[in-house]
Amino acid sequence: MQGALTSPVDWHAIAPELVLTAFACLVLVVDLFLAERAKWLAMPLSAIGVLATGAATLSLVGSERTTLSGSYEIDAFALLLKGLFCVIGFIVLAISFDYFRSGIRYQGEYYFLLLCSLLGGLVMSSARDLVTIFIAIELISVPGFIMTGLRKGDPKSNEASLKFFLFGVLSTAVMLYGMSLIYGLSGGATRLDRIREAIDGSGNEPLVMLSVFFVVVGFGFKISAVPFHFWAPDTYEGAPSPVAAFLSTASKIGGFVGLLVLMFKAFPEVADIWRPVFAVLATLTMTVGNLIALKQRHIIRLLAYSGIAQSGYILVALALIDPSSPGVSRQALESALVYIAIYAVMDLGAFAAAVAYARRGGTYFIDDYAGLWQRSPVLATLLTGFLLSLAGAPPMAGAWAKLFVFLATINAQVYWLAVVMGVNAVIAAWYYLAVVKRMFFEAPELEGPVEVPYFLRAVMGVAALALLVVFIYPPVITELAERSIL
Amino acid sequence: MNDLPFLDLTLFLPLVGALVMVLIPKRWEALLRLAALVVTTATFVASLGVLASFESGTPGFQQVTELSWIPEWGIGYITGVDGVSLWMIMLTTFLMPLCILTSWTIKTQVKPYFILLLTLETGMLGVFSSLDMFLFYVFWEAVLVPMYFLIGMWGHGRRVYAAMKFFLFTLAGSLFMLLSILYLYFASQGSAAAPTFDYRSLVGTPLALEVQILLFLGFFASFAVKVPLVPLHTWLPDAHTEAPTAGSVMLAAVLLKMGAYGLIRFGIAFFPDAARLLAPAIIALAIVGILYGALIAIVQHDVKRLVAYSSVAHLGFVVLGLFVGTIQGMSGGILQMLNHGLSTGALFLLVGALYDRRHTREISEFGGLARSVPVLAGIFLIVVLSSLGLPGLNGFAGEFLVLLATYQSYGWWVIPATFGIVLAAIYLLWAYQRVFHGAVSIEANRNLEDFRMREYVMFVPLVALIVAIGVYPKPFLERIEPSAKQIVRQLNDASVIPETRGLAEAP
Amino acid sequence: MPISYFLVLSALLFSVGIYGVLARQNAVLVLLSIELMLNAANINLVAFSAFLQEAGVAGQVFALFVIAVAAAEVGIGLAIVILIFRNRQSVDVDEMSLMKW
Repeated sequence: MQGALTSPVDWHAIAPELVLTAFACLVLVVDLFLAERAKWLAMPLSAIGVLATGAATLSLVGSERTTLSGSYEIDAFALLLKGLFCVIGFIVLAISFDYFRSGIRYQGEYYFLLLCSLLGGLVMSSARDLVTIFIAIELISVPGFIMTGLRKGDPKSNEASLKFFLFGVLSTAVMLYGMSLIYGLSGGATRLDRIREAIDGSGNEPLVMLSVFFVVVGFGFKISAVPFHFWAPDTYEGAPSPVAAFLSTASKIGGFVGLLVLMFKAFPEVADIWRPVFAVLATLTMTVGNLIALKQRHIIRLLAYSGIAQSGYILVALALIDPSSPGVSRQALESALVYIAIYAVMDLGAFAAAVAYARRGGTYFIDDYAGLWQRSPVLATLLTGFLLSLAGAPPMAGAWAKLFVFLATINAQVYWLAVVMGVNAVIAAWYYLAVVKRMFFEAPELEGPVEVPYFLRAVMGVAALALLVVFIYPPVITELAERSIL
Repeated sequence: MNDLPFLDLTLFLPLVGALVMVLIPKRWEALLRLAALVVTTATFVASLGVLASFESGTPGFQQVTELSWIPEWGIGYITGVDGVSLWMIMLTTFLMPLCILTSWTIKTQVKPYFILLLTLETGMLGVFSSLDMFLFYVFWEAVLVPMYFLIGMWGHGRRVYAAMKFFLFTLAGSLFMLLSILYLYFASQGSAAAPTFDYRSLVGTPLALEVQILLFLGFFASFAVKVPLVPLHTWLPDAHTEAPTAGSVMLAAVLLKMGAYGLIRFGIAFFPDAARLLAPAIIALAIVGILYGALIAIVQHDVKRLVAYSSVAHLGFVVLGLFVGTIQGMSGGILQMLNHGLSTGALFLLVGALYDRRHTREISEFGGLARSVPVLAGIFLIVVLSSLGLPGLNGFAGEFLVLLATYQSYGWWVIPATFGIVLAAIYLLWAYQRVFHGAVSIEANRNLEDFRMREYVMFVPLVALIVAIGVYPKPFLERIEPSAKQIVRQLNDASVIPETRGLAEAP
Repeated sequence: MPISYFLVLSALLFSVGIYGVLARQNAVLVLLSIELMLNAANINLVAFSAFLQEAGVAGQVFALFVIAVAAAEVGIGLAIVILIFRNRQSVDVDEMSLMKW
């Protein structure tokens, strides 16, 4: 830590973060001087910021460097995730635009908070130090608490905000306690590679296990793994829907990135201890998420539970890590990365469609999706595409996401987990299809056409197209993931 | 002639057609119908190219295309035909234009309907022609989605229920297949240099018997649902009955064959020891299916449901043939796949024609139709006779070969199977009699319109083919036999690999 | 004084915090209990930092970060609590049951 004060900072390496920070501040300041009618301008400004951040990220492609005394690392893994966070940010901005312009005050503040939270994701991608990881996860979560409660007059939004806040802070506390123990056990190291060296063969297995357990529980809340998921559906339902979309992708992925980095960089030597823990977590998360999703009638809650179930598939990757066979570990991490990337796009797509429908001529209740095909073929087709992708059916990229996790699981010879995933895929297909069924096979109950804003429609179209392209030619994502192994 | 990749052309022509049709405005219904007809006919012509360049007498795969898809995982785009898949491909492309023609009566949502139908065709053709396991799985799953929408959006009565049931049954089955495929992929690492999904390298992967049995059951779960074998058949009557006519035809003629095809190509070829070991059990299931399907068919009062249950019985014969372990059985089974596709497809088309005229499928609502629609009745009779296996028509050759083979290998087991043919005669002829003969009891049946031009166009080639196969099956059999021989050899010659590679340490 | 004293103290503090989170109904008290847990972690960090000679001051820096973040969190938390109190005149977490399942 003391080295950070003396060693020079590689400014180019942290350019994406700097750009995003600058734009976040700019949005906040510009917002002060905008008239109430012109507040929406904060959104294009934020979008430019996200694009500029993406450009800064692209300028780093191909370079491998560390800065800030090794606690901050730029490699293919970090860049891939930074790029993904930029994509997520852009799509969430598209979803938010119409929603906030017509409904809620505090537009400028919202976009500021959104960019801050996104910044947390970017930092998390590069963080290779306990302190940095802690700061990153807080940077992701804390603006989220406020965004969730932005609809101040709505008791549901209040309640969602409080639940999210309490669970969020609690998880931070638990995680931090674990981190403090790790700090001590590793003889005072905070950098992950040092921790790894220190823990390896230190003979402190029970204590290490305890501290890893605390950390996993803390992250378990962030990624809404069962049994730490209770806050998620309530929070998503009560929060403004674009915020729910953001939480279920960026915030969750931020948690996953932290977990992946910690597990692959710091604790692979003690993998034998926590592998079964993750296997059980993954099984619970998939199964409980899917079973509760079966009876949801509110699309956001459905997506919340489906998102929980989807996290289960990513957790599977963590249950497969095996330091003694690098091939298996590589494949596990690769499948997790592919899954995360595809999940982000398809989940955001589904949220976008749900928000678009609820804002223009519909509601959030699945019953009211009846006959959407006749009212808006485009929206119905797009939503069906995203849902099929979530269900893992062709012709969408979601199929590959699931297949790669299957592949990694079989390769690791954890057959029972593969069977669990298979059974869960069938359960999940049921509720995704139940929405599709309503849209296509039933007569409409609500009247009138559904006008989707052009910008949102374009973004959804591009997202769906991307999923289709990845399905037809998966190397576009698998090769990226392969190069981005930690 | 061999230079043109007819197979890939056949495979993707419908999909390209579907994509082009997306651009046609949905108000131009006539154009959409015509476009679908043109595309499917062109596909059929392209598939004739496959047939023409097919060399009979060789057992291996022909007209193979190999492209790299995901090299990192050993996944490629590999397609090819052999004697088993050739006729399935031909059957699909042949029936598709007929399905388009019979769908002339679809009046709602014309555009998505034809687009889905064309997409479905590519999916089905892909299943029969892919030689890469991953590609195969993708096509296998891809068939589900259009069929789900076809049943759910244009079906009758309990269409939503039927669509969901169809989707979930098939999906559940195919996931077990996926697990088996992936296991096989990693197991192949031992024999080949790098793990691969190439079918041709995967055949002959040495596996311990217990592993073989488990993997075989994984594949079997998927195929047995599709075929369907009793007791996994319950989705079939619902799906067949509620689907629109074209959907029923495709389900019965092609989708069921995907199951039987999978059993031959993958179940037997990959796991000969397990197949041989489990053959008696599967044959027992097949015979139960033959009798069960026939008995249930007798008591049906809905014509379409009757035909649906007759499919259960007929597919029982197919499976019986595949697993008795002789060349006659295998060839007969494969020929029977083709025959069942033609005759049951024709039956569904005819039931559809009846439904278009009377908007009911209840047998009691008909009666004496022979007087008002003599041509329809005549063709119906030919098809019924073909379906129950009358000598001289197509159904006979296949069933005869299967029964002969069953007698040779399994002796008295042939008796209940033969009884199935008798039952088929009962339910088909009895139903025919109630529909077409007797006095006209319901006034609406008196003045029905007989065949129109469109329907002549549909049925003349169909009936011609039915008669042709019945009279002269040789050109069909001689293309099937080399491949059948090879598969039977695999089934019989393979011996259990002595070295034990258990589940735990296999790959 | 051996380091175990500090570790036991922090473990006790952490446990008290957990108990408070589970048992308290008032949102403010739940928040305070969570603060206890955060401080337990801080004690650990500082104690390790002081006792492990080679460790340098990373633990103390970490603790400072934690304090800063915790302050921000309390600010937001109290804002949310006030918001809820304005809307429904109660901050009892057991009454937060508008949404279930």
